[in-house]
Amino acid sequence: MQKKIATLALGTALALAATTGARADNATPNDIRIGGYFVHFASSATDITGPYTIPGLNSSINNTTTLYLGYVRTLSSHFALELAMGWPPVTHATARGPAAVGSVPYNGQKIAGIRWLSPTLLLEYNFFNPGTRWRPFVGVGVNYTYFYDRSITAAGAAVSGGPTSISMPYSVGPAVTAGVKYHINQRWHIVASYSVAQVNSRLTTDTAGVYRTSSVHFWPNAVVLSVGYSFGL
Amino acid sequence: MLKKNGGLICAVLTTLALAGCGQGSQTSTVATSTQRGTLAVDPPLRVASLSASAFSSELGATTSGQQLLQLAGTPACGVDFYYLKYWTVDPSGKPAEVSGALMVPTGSGAQCSGPRPIVLYAHGTSTDQTYNIADISDPNNAANSESAMIASVFAAQGDIVVAPNYEGYDISNLGYHPYINGAVNADDMIDALAAARTALPHTFTPKTTDSGQLYVTGYSEGGYVAMATVKAMQAAGEAVTASAPSSGPYALEAFGDAIFFGQVDIGSTVFAPMVRTSYQNSYTNLHSTPAEVFSSTYATGIDSLLPSTTPLTTLFQQGKLPEAALFDSTTPTSSTGIAAVDAAADQLLALPSSPPYSAADAALFDAGFGSPYLINNSYRVEYVDDAVVNPDQAEMELLKGATYENGQLTASNVALATSPAVGLRQDFKLNDMRNGGWAPKEPMLMCGGDQDPTVFFEVNTGVMAAEWGPLVSAGLVSVLDLNATPSGPFAVLQGAFQSTYGAMVAAEGASTAIQSYHATEAPFCMVAARDFFAQVP
Repeated sequence: MQKKIATLALGTALALAATTGARADNATPNDIRIGGYFVHFASSATDITGPYTIPGLNSSINNTTTLYLGYVRTLSSHFALELAMGWPPVTHATARGPAAVGSVPYNGQKIAGIRWLSPTLLLEYNFFNPGTRWRPFVGVGVNYTYFYDRSITAAGAAVSGGPTSISMPYSVGPAVTAGVKYHINQRWHIVASYSVAQVNSRLTTDTAGVYRTSSVHFWPNAVVLSVGYSFGL
Repeated sequence: MLKKNGGLICAVLTTLALAGCGQGSQTSTVATSTQRGTLAVDPPLRVASLSASAFSSELGATTSGQQLLQLAGTPACGVDFYYLKYWTVDPSGKPAEVSGALMVPTGSGAQCSGPRPIVLYAHGTSTDQTYNIADISDPNNAANSESAMIASVFAAQGDIVVAPNYEGYDISNLGYHPYINGAVNADDMIDALAAARTALPHTFTPKTTDSGQLYVTGYSEGGYVAMATVKAMQAAGEAVTASAPSSGPYALEAFGDAIFFGQVDIGSTVFAPMVRTSYQNSYTNLHSTPAEVFSSTYATGIDSLLPSTTPLTTLFQQGKLPEAALFDSTTPTSSTGIAAVDAAADQLLALPSSPPYSAADAALFDAGFGSPYLINNSYRVEYVDDAVVNPDQAEMELLKGATYENGQLTASNVALATSPAVGLRQDFKLNDMRNGGWAPKEPMLMCGGDQDPTVFFEVNTGVMAAEWGPLVSAGLVSVLDLNATPSGPFAVLQGAFQSTYGAMVAAEGASTAIQSYHATEAPFCMVAARDFFAQVP
């Protein structure tokens, strides 16, 4: 289902781009950008459920800062496609709930670390005409988030009751962005943007064959400050 | 599909040197072997971890917990509760996955880590199929109070505890419990112990190790299982440091005869179907249909009734089992055609009265007769006729007036029946702890109370002590009667039990208090077992 939606979203984005004139009449239609990705996870999760699990155990995801990498292909005077991603950060989950489970400390403990690759494909509309020094833009697109390097910390293993594997299926969800581009010259520009994506997944832990789950929803909203370089191919 | 995608992305990332794609952390290993004693999931799940003070305050929160604290003492160690899954064999010899508990003492106290003794504990009869003695965190689990009892008596004082849930309970898919099947129950205990020994180095406290001292104990059904385990381990040449079976139906044939002679014990309407289902599945020598044993009111579905996920009180309300009426209140007559047999049998089939029984005993036994009743008169007569023709000598001596006095049974012959003809009596004989001509080689304490209305003391504990009297050196097997005049090493416990029970009688009346007599003994016997083990070198 999620895949279908993703395909649909992507298809719509490309079709939209095509109808607006895909031919790049610009000599430098490619931008690469590098910068800082300041991610705030407005996360919420359902309480962890499963066998041998007391009620009221929850978790939250810590904010992270990482390297931003982007590639933008100018499609027309106003439209561009951006593929944005962050250097896969280690994101930590922090336990929320009672101070201790039995005698094992819980609330505030860093219980798991997860890396995630989260490319976002955005179709952007740039205001004003090419050559304008300041160009604000807005964009919509689709975010794909793949979680990997999932590891439980010692504190997480202690509260789970043993060595634990974590699974979190990939998520596909909508993303929106708004920002402004400042052209230093024809080649170089700096960009500031704010983007939000919707990520839904289901955290499942396996400790000695005992499965516990929690539905995780977050709206990673990121401020990106980057510098870009335009070139032709 | 997801894994394939993930792999692809990892491969691409690795090529781009963006990030490595290490494996997520691993969970426990699931054993591929189904050999007896194999730990199925290694390391096992730690269900709960309680520090000494947390355990103490948890116990302090309930009345029963407070009584336990007072009796067992303040926890000196914390306790980690692990859920063991392991492989044993079912009565047909097939591999069977079962579960149980491993309790490991924790904390900084000298007796809470390093090499520690193992207490192998067998639990009492449960009608609850979800019984899980590892699940201390669920107050609604039927095993919760027994789990707290052994944790506070043994683990919180520095012993490693291993306790199986038994086949037929929790994850076991056998479909019934091999109830009072000594060989199968002992195998389960031995396999739980082997699995626990495998698990110990992989716990959160790997430096808490097996000292090599092994104490075997259990209560009620578990008293029987503990004794069967000592017998099996001894036969296999495996060391048991000491044992303390408590309030168990050891002399099963004599006990069974006593019940069929009309001395109906509290709980018999529950024990009877569990025994029948167990023996019919294991030995197939009972009547082919339940209706030949059980009255038409209850016969349908009784073979698969217990253990159940439905509470026992609900089963009573639904009319699936009678609460107390084991036998028909209409007295049957024997008709073998042999006058002496019929005369003796008819005497045994009569409603118990006073005399020969005390007024209280007669009232207790009479409560086991009624209508609707569980067991058909025709089956009862068949059983009693066989017990007259092929007598269990111990029960015969008790009928003639042998009593348990001054620590021993005044009976000279406690032999099993030579050749019982009824299938159930053959199975009782097979599983009777007198069978096999064995005696313990290491110290054993048998604890109980001589007024126990559920598992009779004289015909079980008294008979075993009389059986072994001539076979063991003095002092090797000792008996603790909680109801006797306090004296000796357990005088304080005897006094405490008697005052506890006395208070119950004062508060509830004797006829209500007697219903809880058997359960009330349990923690006293377990503390006695702990004190007994402590003085065995």
